[in-house]
Amino acid sequence: MLRTLMATAVLAAFASAQAQDKPAPAPAQPWQQGRSAEQMESPLHPFAPNLTGRAAKDLPIDTLKVPAGFKVEVWADGVPEARSLALGDKGTVFVSNRISKNVYAVIDRGGQREVKTILKGMNAPNGIVFSKGTLYVAERNRITSYADIENHLDNPGEGKVVVDNLDPTTQPGHFWKFLAMGPDNKLYFNIGSPQNITMPTYMQASIMRVDPKTGVVENYAQGVRNSVGFDWSPKTHQLWFTVHGRDWLGDDSPADMLEVATRPGQHFGFPYCHEGDMLDPEYGKNRSCKEFTPPAAKLGAHVAPLGMRFYTGKMFPAEYQGNIFIAQHGSWNRTTKQGYNVIRVVVDGKNKVVKSEPFLTGFLTNDKGDPPMWGRPVDVLVMKDGALLVSDDYNGILYRISYKK
Amino acid sequence: MSGAKAWLVVAALALAGGAASAADLEAGKRKAALCEACHGPEGNSVIPVNPSIAGQQVQFLSNTMLFFREGNRKDAQMTPIAANLSNADMNDLAAYFSSLKIAPPKHKSSPENAAAGPGLAQKFMCTQCHGPALLGVQHIPRIAGQQFDYVKTQLLGFKAQKRSDIDGNMTSAAQALSEKDIEILADYIAGIGAP
Repeated sequence: MLRTLMATAVLAAFASAQAQDKPAPAPAQPWQQGRSAEQMESPLHPFAPNLTGRAAKDLPIDTLKVPAGFKVEVWADGVPEARSLALGDKGTVFVSNRISKNVYAVIDRGGQREVKTILKGMNAPNGIVFSKGTLYVAERNRITSYADIENHLDNPGEGKVVVDNLDPTTQPGHFWKFLAMGPDNKLYFNIGSPQNITMPTYMQASIMRVDPKTGVVENYAQGVRNSVGFDWSPKTHQLWFTVHGRDWLGDDSPADMLEVATRPGQHFGFPYCHEGDMLDPEYGKNRSCKEFTPPAAKLGAHVAPLGMRFYTGKMFPAEYQGNIFIAQHGSWNRTTKQGYNVIRVVVDGKNKVVKSEPFLTGFLTNDKGDPPMWGRPVDVLVMKDGALLVSDDYNGILYRISYKK
Repeated sequence: MSGAKAWLVVAALALAGGAASAADLEAGKRKAALCEACHGPEGNSVIPVNPSIAGQQVQFLSNTMLFFREGNRKDAQMTPIAANLSNADMNDLAAYFSSLKIAPPKHKSSPENAAAGPGLAQKFMCTQCHGPALLGVQHIPRIAGQQFDYVKTQLLGFKAQKRSDIDGNMTSAAQALSEKDIEILADYIAGIGAP
């Protein structure tokens, strides 16, 4: 026993001396964290957008595909790093950034689109929503509001703080937020997991809501690794949201998810249980997936579902009413890439997903390529005329999908 | 205003005027004279602290110019120049310089550092993102054959958490480097010739 202890002490001293000679290797990045020993040399890596944007005329726009009867066209280019979309009462389309620092307004001038930078120098302003004349912006650390925005596109002012200190730890990963206005007139937003797989704090891996009148924040859903898209069912008024599953558990697992919250306070599994039925190799020990709310649908591994909207427009055929459109940003943590499209999900009255199929495809050109794609859908937006707008941050382009009988 | 400064402003205004709407090699070439004053003829730098930009990854070049204009990166010379560049200018210039041939490096690595470099580049995960031959990919720059002083300055900046990067990867990676590691890596990297 004593000998074992001594041996351990000697080994520890030796290890510590070694540690002093050689500095520890670089800490893993949030996206690298959670790799197995065999994955340390993996060539898989996330893709970055072309932050200056690319002109539509230089891109193979005519290779994009939509179902028969539908048409896809470029609605606006020159909207660098176009991320989340929001629609004003007067038809202004607001567009956000994640890495860059701007919020844009795109104004339709009868066939020509004017792109105006209305907010600058923001801190990862990924989340935007328009409600009752006001534009709300979620930066990584706070939410601000800009009243009567469509009459003040050239001078939106400083903005009023709704809530601050949302990122007290300056978390390294998943710090960008999606923002939406709930039927309860509260602002809903995500706080992602700070790393690929880790034990989150009470604030992290959650969907929160804040009352813009009082600034009071509540935890709405937990165990949500990172959601960058949500909307409320026009039928049940329940919150539906997309979730990115963890990385480095293989090409085909776990699936990214479409979830539905039927009440506040549900736990959706992270970091214990993925895709509703797969325990995490580390955090899932001694747990059961049965204690968590399962997903409404598995969308496929690493497809990266982002923005989603229920279709409530009048333009598309009747069978599209109440369908969900989901923008999939596409896989990087997969040897053979998939996603990079917009999918259509059909839901019945009992929250059951009855069908899921590709709707807009053609961005993915070489599933083994680096990069494998020439564009990446981020968000979808139902326009007043019923057309669907799709943002692409890789190129800074907005596409419009319309239907004609 | 000094003569040189006035010249810079005039040249920068001229750049901003010739806005092409898409990445265009010829347009990039027309706009490139000012860049070549510091980054060397055809983008191969002869000034130790300035990086070569010939043959650099196109996405890295355009993103980097944008970061200078938007204030993520700051430099006494680059900041005012980038301030006058449109996104289209950046795309044209990136396309042009990326298309140029990289001159063989003038830097000669010491034999010890040339021998130790590949191991360190692997150990500190340089090769993880910059690729096995350090040629870069997409938004990650080629560093093989880059100017010694420039590489060293950047690594010291990342280590001091004063040099911004797109996603925090470099700042994080540089924390593990000692000043001696940085010296060895810069000396090794600057001497790497064409693969």
